[in-house]
Amino acid sequence: MLQQVLRAFEEAHEPVNLVDLAHKLGIDKPALEGMIAYWVRKGRLKESQADSSCSAECGPTCASRSGPCPFVGKMPRIITLVGTDE
Amino acid sequence: MTVIGTAALHTPIYVRYQSDIENEVTRLSTAIGQISALQRYNPRWLAIQLLEGDSDLLIEVQNTSGGAAVLQMLTDSQARLQAIYNEDIDIILTDQRYRFVNTLVRRVLIRPASQRETLSDRVDKIVTHRLLGIPIFLALMWLVFKLTTDVATPYLEWVDAVISGPLTNQMVVLLRLAGLGDSWVESLVVDGIIAGVGGVLVFVPVLMTLYLSLAILEDSGYMARAAFVMDRLMHILGLHGKSFLPMIVGFGCNVPAIYATRTLETEKDRILTGLLVPFMSCSARLPVYVLLAAIFFPAYSGLVVFGLYILGIVAAIGLGFALKNTLFKTKDRVPFIMELPPYRLPTLRGIWTHMWERTASFIRRAGTVIMATSVLIWLLMAIPTGGDGVFAETELDDSAFATVAGVVAPIFTPLGFGSWEASGALVTGFIAKEVVVSTMSQIYGVAEEEEAAEPTTLVEDLGQVITSFVGATIDTLRAVPLIIGIDLTDAEEEGESTGLMRAAQSSFEASSGGHGALAALAFMVFVLLYTPCVAVIAAARQEFGNRWMWFSVVGQLVIAWVAALLVFQGGRLVGWG
Repeated sequence: MLQQVLRAFEEAHEPVNLVDLAHKLGIDKPALEGMIAYWVRKGRLKESQADSSCSAECGPTCASRSGPCPFVGKMPRIITLVGTDE
Repeated sequence: MTVIGTAALHTPIYVRYQSDIENEVTRLSTAIGQISALQRYNPRWLAIQLLEGDSDLLIEVQNTSGGAAVLQMLTDSQARLQAIYNEDIDIILTDQRYRFVNTLVRRVLIRPASQRETLSDRVDKIVTHRLLGIPIFLALMWLVFKLTTDVATPYLEWVDAVISGPLTNQMVVLLRLAGLGDSWVESLVVDGIIAGVGGVLVFVPVLMTLYLSLAILEDSGYMARAAFVMDRLMHILGLHGKSFLPMIVGFGCNVPAIYATRTLETEKDRILTGLLVPFMSCSARLPVYVLLAAIFFPAYSGLVVFGLYILGIVAAIGLGFALKNTLFKTKDRVPFIMELPPYRLPTLRGIWTHMWERTASFIRRAGTVIMATSVLIWLLMAIPTGGDGVFAETELDDSAFATVAGVVAPIFTPLGFGSWEASGALVTGFIAKEVVVSTMSQIYGVAEEEEAAEPTTLVEDLGQVITSFVGATIDTLRAVPLIIGIDLTDAEEEGESTGLMRAAQSSFEASSGGHGALAALAFMVFVLLYTPCVAVIAAARQEFGNRWMWFSVVGQLVIAWVAALLVFQGGRLVGWG
């Protein structure tokens, strides 16, 4: 089953929604989350979810220097196969 | 799900692995069971932990009398299992535990034949559909720009009327009371600060509407779906699917979008995406589009603005495709999995917070950067470099600003806007894109002086502000059905063009040989594609280094120039404008 998850990443031809992947593999989403977390710990998958954030040195014309940037947003969580983006 | 039945568990249930693994576990358990120092552990459990490579237990066994023999057996077991499965043992064991649990669950639970879909899943089936996803995204974008151009217009006109009317009137009264009437100070305040800053503040209703729409789309969870369908398109084109996530941030401001490229794994992807981000039309460019679209394309302003945003996306994707096959060649990519957040009903408080924070940022820029730039531009416009003018009373054509801006104006002649007015506005736009509008307000506002209105009292002015606000609110409500093509506005109530609009129109007509609309469209395309602002340049330099920063700046200028040329000259060739 764990290998199924990795194979699903390798065989996908386009970005896939996590819920769709769970349906396709016939696995409950919480179980899939556990398997993904396992592969992330093993270093075979990589998870990223960052805030798009400004550095404090974004320039004198940015009006948000004295506070948080109002255009910052939390990006959706993305999981990628490690070693495929070179 | 239903539990079939419960059975009293008289014996513990062990996870049973495949036979070759069970053989090794049994062998190891037997050896472990013979070591007294390890009696406190269940032998089977310890055997499995050692096979999985538990570092603490390995050290403990190593330090135990007789443990060396167990470790030797362990090494042999691992070698045998590795040869069979060609995979790390802990992965095999974990995988088989998952299988065991899955099998057990299937035996004790009854699930419905078809899983009940949540509302979120049903909506996602449509919104992220392979064929419908992108048209839905485009339709929503069109709706956003229809709102910002049609529905926000009454409030835009109200703010404009308040600034150019009561605010200016009362400021002039105050200055005259202070003995500064008809002086360069009055010129600085009225023609510099109020014209420049006011010219930008007029667009606060438009930007509030844009930010309101974006807040609804973000808080509802739709924006993640938009990124998902666009990522799919980019993946089909061979680009990195994750690139569109930072690019979506660029619709608000390009600066955080540049920093958002840090989420991409490789430097190549980060630089490539960073080169594309500036083509996403940030909110600061919207006032330029709204102003010129209102002057030259009044019946189609929403469509023009929508078209410019789409052009930016197309330019980004097209450039990305070209760069990916040349400077940024990489091997084929494996796609990614994205977790789409659940849909939520946006709260009024959340929408207001997002909308107000961004609007406040815009107003702060107006009060700082744009005010400073307006003062500088006023100063340059006040300094005579020719003719008989004196300081603060010189003809615009004889001013230092016109002289400096005129140096670069010939570059834009083939594009239809080779006047010092247009080139000056574009040069000042490097500071911030809103400055393009404030510069134009200062130039064209001074060029076409309105007739002096009847003097009014403060009370009369306040009354006018309130009544015109009520009128603007009513007009806004009547404008909402415009989105679906129902026009409840009275034709005779359509706003007259202001002095600024007339001056801008005649300037573009003059510089383009009578093709003012085409020249304005080319100007807007140039604004869309050339360097966003110094803050973006600084962010690009910090993230990607000087070389790529200059590549980006020069590249954007070249692309903007070529695109504007195609629009103007191409349009003339086919008889448009």
